[in-house]
Amino acid sequence: MEMETPAAVPGNQVRLPTGILGFEQFKNYMLLANPAEMPFAWLRVADSASLSFVVINPFIAMPNYAPDIPQSDVEFLDLKEPADALLFSIVTLRGPNCATLNLKGPLVINRHTHIGKQVIIANANNYSVEHPLPVAAATV
Amino acid sequence: MLILSRKSGESIVIAGNIRVKVMRVEGDVVKIGVDAPSSVPVHRQEVYDEIQRNNQQALMQQNMPLPKLAATPEKKAE
Repeated sequence: MEMETPAAVPGNQVRLPTGILGFEQFKNYMLLANPAEMPFAWLRVADSASLSFVVINPFIAMPNYAPDIPQSDVEFLDLKEPADALLFSIVTLRGPNCATLNLKGPLVINRHTHIGKQVIIANANNYSVEHPLPVAAATV
Repeated sequence: MLILSRKSGESIVIAGNIRVKVMRVEGDVVKIGVDAPSSVPVHRQEVYDEIQRNNQQALMQQNMPLPKLAATPEKKAE
């Protein structure tokens, strides 16, 4: 399935019924995008304003990324066609100018229902959980 | 946990439509074949552990400055 990632889901609220692996207790999130921080966005835990994940359109780091979304997840998310889905990768900040993104377990969100899931792609073996994000050399 | 003894070539069936077969035993390596409908995801445990560990590293407890991206091959409007 081929997908695109816009700045933010309209309405901004996202529900992840199965949570994020390791954080199953958090199911409600706000997807927030600050134009100055594009193409990054924030997935903030709705019940806890201080907890969030940084997410990004994975195709920015890897234009030929081809995640294979398992059929069970396509059904779980009620995706009728690829355009129904928003795709994000979770970013790990590892230093002032060092970041990686998780290409094995992207977030797939149904843009109509705002229901999402951290999906383990069927071709996870082809990708890294710590794919380096191409950051610019340190500037001001 | 249910524990079953199986010999090489023997199987177990889960929920009537998932068959797990011991293909071969070589020293401490067991080759396992899984026959399951395509709707049933099958992954090594390590993939879950790896993603969970990465999620724990990625969780932000406070806002931090985000890095600037290098020029990317993909151009977007705006």
